[in-house]
Amino acid sequence: MNTENIDQKILALMESNPHMTDAEIARSLGLDENAIRQRIDFLCDTREKILIVDEEIDASTALRLALESEGYNVIEALDGYEGIRKAKSENPDVILLDIMMPGMDGFEACQLLKADPALKHIPIIMLTAKGEVDDKVEGLELGADDYVTKPFNLKELKARIRMVLRRGAV
Amino acid sequence: MWGKKNRLSLVVFAVIVLLLVGSIFFLWMKANVEVRSIVEEQYQQQQLILTQYVSYSIGELLSERVLLLEVVAQKQQGVPDDQFMSEFETVYQVAEIYYVLEFIDANGTVVSGYPVEHVPQGYNLYSNNMSRAFEHVKNTGEVYVSEPVSTMEGVFGAYVWVPVFENGEFRGSILGIVSDENIISQFETSSDGRNYVYIVNDKGMILYDQSGTYEKGTSYFDYAENDDQQRLSILQAQMSGQMGNGKYWQETSEGDEYVLVSYSPVNWYNQRWSVGLTSLDDAVDDIILSVYVKLFTVAAVSVLFILFVSSQVYFILLNWNKSLETEVEKKTRELQQSNESLITANIKLKELDRLKNEFLSMVSHELKTPLTAMKTSSEFLLEEKCAPDVRKQLLALIVRNVDRQARLVDDLLDISRIESRRMKFNMENVSLHEALDHSLESIRRFSESKGVEIEVDMPASLPAVHADKDKLIQVFVNLLNNAVKFTPQGGKITVHAHRSGADVEISVRDTGIGIDPAYAERIFDKFYQIDNTSTRSAGGCGLGLAITKGLLEGMDSSIRVESESGAGSRFIFTLKAGAVSSIHSEVH
Repeated sequence: MNTENIDQKILALMESNPHMTDAEIARSLGLDENAIRQRIDFLCDTREKILIVDEEIDASTALRLALESEGYNVIEALDGYEGIRKAKSENPDVILLDIMMPGMDGFEACQLLKADPALKHIPIIMLTAKGEVDDKVEGLELGADDYVTKPFNLKELKARIRMVLRRGAV
Repeated sequence: MWGKKNRLSLVVFAVIVLLLVGSIFFLWMKANVEVRSIVEEQYQQQQLILTQYVSYSIGELLSERVLLLEVVAQKQQGVPDDQFMSEFETVYQVAEIYYVLEFIDANGTVVSGYPVEHVPQGYNLYSNNMSRAFEHVKNTGEVYVSEPVSTMEGVFGAYVWVPVFENGEFRGSILGIVSDENIISQFETSSDGRNYVYIVNDKGMILYDQSGTYEKGTSYFDYAENDDQQRLSILQAQMSGQMGNGKYWQETSEGDEYVLVSYSPVNWYNQRWSVGLTSLDDAVDDIILSVYVKLFTVAAVSVLFILFVSSQVYFILLNWNKSLETEVEKKTRELQQSNESLITANIKLKELDRLKNEFLSMVSHELKTPLTAMKTSSEFLLEEKCAPDVRKQLLALIVRNVDRQARLVDDLLDISRIESRRMKFNMENVSLHEALDHSLESIRRFSESKGVEIEVDMPASLPAVHADKDKLIQVFVNLLNNAVKFTPQGGKITVHAHRSGADVEISVRDTGIGIDPAYAERIFDKFYQIDNTSTRSAGGCGLGLAITKGLLEGMDSSIRVESESGAGSRFIFTLKAGAVSSIHSEVH
C-alpha cells in the first residue's frame, strides 16, 4: 500500500483520537504494528532531510555519516532514477546530486527534478569530480542552486547546505 | 566531356584549314588573271608586229611592182613599136600580182595588153565614160591608183595608172589591174579559222577579207552594229591611218567571245589602206593553258600539303591533349586520394583526441572519487564527533579507497606501458599449473566471500608455456577477478587448458551475466563498461580487460570472448608451448 496514504490515515486517526496507541492504530488499519511505528517515527522526525544521489557507495557513506552527525536525516540513492523516486517519496529538504552516474546522469536528473512542479522547490547542490567551468555553467543553467567540486572540503559543503536550506526557508 | 570540347577545336581547326585552302585558290585565280592579262598583252604586241610586217611588206610590194611599170614607161622614150607587148609580158611574169597589163593611147583606146585574153582591145574610155583617172594622170603626169572595183570580168582589183610621155608630150597611160588575191598570194598566210587578215581603205571599204565573211567592195559599217563601240573605234583608227591593238565582243554560233585585232596602215601612192589581223581570245587561253595547269598543280599540291600537315598537327595536338587530360585525371585522382586519406587521418586524429579527452576525464573522475571518500572521512574523523564504531567504519573505508587508488594507479601505469610499448616481458618457460596456483591464491578470498566455486580442468601432462610468469599471473587474476565479479552467488568458474598443436589453449568460463555479442569486441577497450552500475557495484575502473589484452599481445598471443547475454562468458587465449613439460599437477 502507498506509504503516503498510510501516513494520511495515521494522521487522521491521531487527530480524531490523540490518545490512540500504536497498536490500536495498527489494528484499526489492519497493518503490522512495527510498520505503523516506523511510519510514526518517520512522521515524528523533524530533522532536515538530505538526499545524496551518488553511485559511489563509499563516498556517499562517508558523507552520510558526517552529515548525520550534524543532525540531518540523510537518505541515499545510487543513480538518477532512484534519486527522482526517492525525491518524490521522501520529500527531502535538499538534494546533493552527483553528475557522473550510470543510466541517467546528474544533468538529466536535475532537469527532470526542476521540471516537476511538485519537486522543483527542492534546492539542488551539484556534486561532481568534473571541474570544468562549462560543466558548472550547464548545471547552474539547468536550475541547480549550487555546485561543489570533488574532492570537497567537508566544512565548506556543510556551510553551503546550511545556506541553501536557509534560502529555502525564506 | 572532352568530346564536345574536341569537336569545337576540330571545327576551329577545319575553318583555319579551309581559310588556308581558300586563300591558296584565291591566289591561284588571281595569278591566272594576271598571267592572262600579261600574256594577252604580249600576244597582241606580237600580233601587232606581225601586222606591221604584213602591212609594210604589202606597201613595199605594191610600190615595187608599180615601180616596174614606171621603169617600163620611162625606159622607152615614147611608145615602142610593139605597143609595150614584150615589156608587159616580162613585167607580168616578174611581178606576179597583175591581173592584166594594158596600154591605152592618148585617145583613151586600149591598143595592147597582156595577157591577151584579158584585154578588151579597142575599148575606148571616153566613149564608155571611164576617163576620170586617165584624165587625172594625163594632167598631173603622176602615177595614180584608183579605188579598187570589180572589173567587167568580175575580178576585184585596184587600177594603177602610169602615164607615158615622149619629149614632154602625153602619149598615153599604162594600166595595171592589181588583184587582191594576187597580192595576198605573195604572202604565205594561212588561216586556221581563228586568225585571219582583212584590209580596209580610208573610206571603210572592205578590200580583202580572208575569212570570207564580208563581201569585197562593201562598207565595213554595214556589218558593225551601231552600239558596237569597241569595233567602231577600231575601224575609226584604221581609217585615220593609225597603228595599234584593240578588241571587241563578238557573238558567234559557238558562243560569245572577244576578238583581238591588230592593225597597221599601208600607204600606196594616193591610196591609204589598213591591214587588220584578227584572232580569237581563245588563242591566248590556249597558250597559257599549260601555265594554268601548272599553277593548278602547284595550288593542288599546296592544298594537299596543307591538309596533310594540318591533319598531322591536329592528331599531334589531339594526342597531346589526350595525354594531358589523362595526366590531369591521374593527378586529380591522386589529389583526391591524398585528400581522402587526409580526411580519414583527420577523422582518426579527432577520434584520438576525443578518446584522449575522454580518457583524461575518466582518469580524473576515477582518481577523484576515492579521494573524495577519503577526504570526507578524514575530515569527519578530525572533527572527533563520531562514535567508535563509526570511526572504525570510516577508517576501513579510507583503507579500502587507498587500495582502490593504488590499484588504479598500477592499472594506469600498466596501460601506459602497454600503449607506449615500454612494458618489458621476461619470456621463459612457465608452468601453467604454477601460474594458476598463484593466481587462485590471490583471488581465493574474494571468490569465497562471494560464494563462487572455481574449478580447474587441466591435464597433468600439459607442457610449459612460453610466457612472462608475472604477466601471466596478472592475466589469470584479472580474468578470474572479472569472472567472480559478474558471477552471482553459487555460480561456478571453470579454468580449462588443452594442447592444440604447438599451442596451449586456455579458457576461463563463468556462469555469470554474460555479454551481449554486440559489445563483445568493445569490452577490451579502456574504461569501457557495458553496464556501469554492475561494474561499480563490483568495483574496478574498466581497465582490467584492456590490460589483459595488452599483456597477452605482448606475449604474442590474443584473447577473444564467446558469450551470450545471461548465459555466462568464456574468455579464450592461446600461448605457445614451451620446451619443458610440466610435471606439476593439482586439481582444485
